Amino acid sequence: MKRRGFAFDLGIATAVLVVLVILPILFPSKALIDFAIRVAAFGIFASSLNILVGYTGLVSFGHGMFFASGAYAFGLLMQKAGTSIPTAFLLTVLISAALAVVVGAICVRLKEIYFAFLTLAFQMLLHSLIISWQQLTGGDQGLMGGIPRPPFLGIDLSDQSQLYLFACATLVISLLLMRHLMQSPFGYTLRMIRDNAERAQYIGIRVWRMRLAAFVLAGTFASIGGIIMSLLMSGAYPEFAYWTISGEAIFMLMLGGTSAFLGPTVGTMMLLLLNDVITKFTEYYGLTLGVVILLFALVFRKGVADFVVEEWRRRFGENQA
Amino acid sequence: MDPAALADCLKTTSCVVTQVTSGLIIGMLLFLVAAGLTLIFGVLKVVNFTHGSFYMLGAYLALSVYKITDSFTLAVVCAGAGVALFGLVFERLFMSRVYGSNVLMQLLVCYAFILMMDDAIKLIWGAEFKSMGMPAAFQRPPILLAGGVIPAFYLFLIVIALAIGAVLWLVIARTRIGKVVRAAAHNPTMTSALGINTGLIYGAVFAAGGMLAGLAGALAAPVRSMAPGMGVSILIESFIVTVIGGMGSIGGALAGSLLIGLIRSFGSIGFPLFTEGIMFLFMAMVLVIKPSGLFGKDI
Amino acid sequence: MSKNQKPNRITRRRFLKNATALGGAAVLGFPMISRSQAKTIRVGMPTILSGRVAQLGTSSRNAVMMEVEKFNAAGGLGGRRIEMVVRDSKGQPQEAARVSRELVNSEGCEILFDAEASSGAFAVNEVARDLGVLCFHINSETSALTADPKNRIPNAFRTARQGVHDSIAGGHYAASVAKAKGLRQWMTCSPDYAYGRDTTAQYLEYLKLFYPQAEVVGEAWPKLFQPDYTEVITKILQAKPQALYSCLWGGDLTSYIDQGNIYALFKATQFFAVNMADYTALTVVKNLPVGIHSGNRYIKTFPKTAANAAWGDAYRAKYGEYPTNWAWESATTANFLTAALKKANSADGKKLAEVLRGLKIDSPFGTDGTITMRAEDQTIIGYAIGWGTTISKEPYMPEVTAGDWKQILELELDWKKRNKYI
Repeated sequence: MKRRGFAFDLGIATAVLVVLVILPILFPSKALIDFAIRVAAFGIFASSLNILVGYTGLVSFGHGMFFASGAYAFGLLMQKAGTSIPTAFLLTVLISAALAVVVGAICVRLKEIYFAFLTLAFQMLLHSLIISWQQLTGGDQGLMGGIPRPPFLGIDLSDQSQLYLFACATLVISLLLMRHLMQSPFGYTLRMIRDNAERAQYIGIRVWRMRLAAFVLAGTFASIGGIIMSLLMSGAYPEFAYWTISGEAIFMLMLGGTSAFLGPTVGTMMLLLLNDVITKFTEYYGLTLGVVILLFALVFRKGVADFVVEEWRRRFGENQA
Repeated sequence: MDPAALADCLKTTSCVVTQVTSGLIIGMLLFLVAAGLTLIFGVLKVVNFTHGSFYMLGAYLALSVYKITDSFTLAVVCAGAGVALFGLVFERLFMSRVYGSNVLMQLLVCYAFILMMDDAIKLIWGAEFKSMGMPAAFQRPPILLAGGVIPAFYLFLIVIALAIGAVLWLVIARTRIGKVVRAAAHNPTMTSALGINTGLIYGAVFAAGGMLAGLAGALAAPVRSMAPGMGVSILIESFIVTVIGGMGSIGGALAGSLLIGLIRSFGSIGFPLFTEGIMFLFMAMVLVIKPSGLFGKDI
Repeated sequence: MSKNQKPNRITRRRFLKNATALGGAAVLGFPMISRSQAKTIRVGMPTILSGRVAQLGTSSRNAVMMEVEKFNAAGGLGGRRIEMVVRDSKGQPQEAARVSRELVNSEGCEILFDAEASSGAFAVNEVARDLGVLCFHINSETSALTADPKNRIPNAFRTARQGVHDSIAGGHYAASVAKAKGLRQWMTCSPDYAYGRDTTAQYLEYLKLFYPQAEVVGEAWPKLFQPDYTEVITKILQAKPQALYSCLWGGDLTSYIDQGNIYALFKATQFFAVNMADYTALTVVKNLPVGIHSGNRYIKTFPKTAANAAWGDAYRAKYGEYPTNWAWESATTANFLTAALKKANSADGKKLAEVLRGLKIDSPFGTDGTITMRAEDQTIIGYAIGWGTTISKEPYMPEVTAGDWKQILELELDWKKRNKYI
């Protein structure tokens, strides 16, 4: 089954990283840098959601919960505890993983739409907690006063171009890790559960435990997306925990495709580009985006990356996955 | 948090009466909206995320008709009919194309409509918020009842909501149409093999669900201001209610609505700053303990 | 939405052409926008043009355009015109920040008009901090935005009213009414978010300072944009307060009044609603109870000057609707910018910031015909602030008691000290 190993992926990742490093030298545009950082934040977030949706067959409506937990935990650690960025990064990932264990242990027992609704309920719970706990979170105003970004190891993330490099590296490493995990026996177990949970159960797989592992993994990576966002914004806002963020992530998956590994990242780029272009020209964003979404859902019916991969395979007759 | 105030309230009759009636009022208004959502899910197994937007459309239609004709009855009827028609078109032209695919596609189509309808409302009626005003017939002092107060308009709404619930139940449980709908919900392939046009039934159910949302929007219009984007809070409230009561169960929606109404009315006394959180917590608890909801069965 | 010309409306054909061109440019990697129009002064304005508060964002844009057109028609800054670039943030702080960065980084805007609600304003403030660009906070009334040193930056100025000013003036007015009518038992009903909580707490603080006999017998906290206020209303009916304070606003306030009316809530209780005297709410409520006490938001009758009435009429004639609270704040922002441009005779952000500190301009919205940009915390003072009671038709609030700015400033200083801001 495994066509190419980890080394191949690693090679591609390194090549992409080199391209990303060179890119701003060729096109020195601040807008491009901003765009890339947002792609990194949301790309990691959408890809992590795909671990659940595409690989495990669990549709979560509440994935934004971990994006928010990443942004808030990181921001609060930097603001209140004054830790260094690597320490805060690590602690944030751990906190989000712990949150994912608790929430996941409750949620993954449920199936289909009930799972979706339970995750939504937890997300809204977090949202109303953020709004209510004003002393800690600033309520609807978000974390005020900016997030300090002290230099570490000679890296200064308050400098936009250094943040760009950091975000790109985090994106590539996160994607590589996720890819590796999804190509491992663990990843194939998840696919088996997705395709037929009962059969997986019969051959001795502990479905509940595997689903929980996928949930925790997804939540953990999502929090990394949140960290990058909070670094870019120098703040965190309750909108990160609102259901619209989860909705956008789902749309990113659908735009890019859930089968191809890079589908969510491609979808992220497309949605962000769409968003930026549409808001530039019209205040009727909803009307315009709505039409685009309908086109996708009713006419194309599959994500762009999935389409490309399938075409490729059809034409060049590579062995089917 | 103020548990002492809650305890005090529970000791006095007038407080209990007022808060129970206010819970009843909140609950019946919620039921009006949630009934359509749960009906559509019960038959089609589709979560209609545009339900809040249907409600919004109903409110705006009622506003326009009321402005032109000055008749609240006509406004409510037109809003119900208009949104029913909209629901039918929406189902036949759009939703019916994504039944086979996964739930995400359905979500996407709905999401597109939420976005488009908010902007369409802004284009047609304007961005500013609007208010319809209370029809003259209901401009009277509230009724006193065992130390509690009930406005005449709310009494009217409760009666209407109960009547709608009763009619809905009767149609589904006691008529031939109801039988066919239940059959289509239970086994669509078999039903269509028997020569029944399931497409028509699905369209009709969506129209009925839309009508309920439209009626709710129109009936609440005299006391709730309107603005593009108003559907979101309605959608979330109806979700909570249907999930707690059991997706697809009309009786469950009624029970869920009343429960939420009581939580809100006593919550505003006991823990005014976290009532919303309590509702989500309650919804999560129900899902964990009994995922199909308190009254979860098929219709 | 008015039918009048919209400043950034574009034809469909041009839209398609632009969209194609931009699509191409985007694929090629965001080339820098050419700065061929270096002669114009570009001002970026993120605001909310869609969703529930689109009305406010639209009025903000309208008012700015009206003032900017006047400035341009009068020849601008030695021939340099102001060009507004307005973008919809959809009310999301991350979009407000994104749009602001884009306006500065790729649209060549040298100045930002932040026309966002509170969370968006804090997000844009961080952008201004990172990019060092001159920024006006047009609409955020949250006191902490300029009062708290950790938010304060040398390049950001607030040209909106401020919560604490409102509360001092409101508390003083309420106390005088309470003394006269013997209103001791008070209750509050405000939206549960930062603005609602802060404003209510401050208001009560000053009410009690001026009228120590006042006692709070209960609080109700509906959610922002809550459709149904029944539980809140019955809770208030239970407590039977003599007076009720609320800082609900816009559609929430009108829903609340419509629902309170059928419970006869306002018959037994004196209602103090700081955000009532705003045309958006006044003209919408069909059965407005008589005698609601309110602070002024924008009202043509206060300040009672020809200039103010003329401005309100001009706005209404141009856009077919009444100005909002955000509208006068936006017009004031444009006035401050144009005054600073003339005084500095430059569009350089640093020079402008220099002259803005302490700048006093003539304004129809000033209590004494002027508004001052206080140097120490870069926020405006001296704007029209007052309270009165409403009637159900034009002019809606005929008589307004002006707040005493001397007293406001003294108590604000105390408040800052207590909060360790200074």
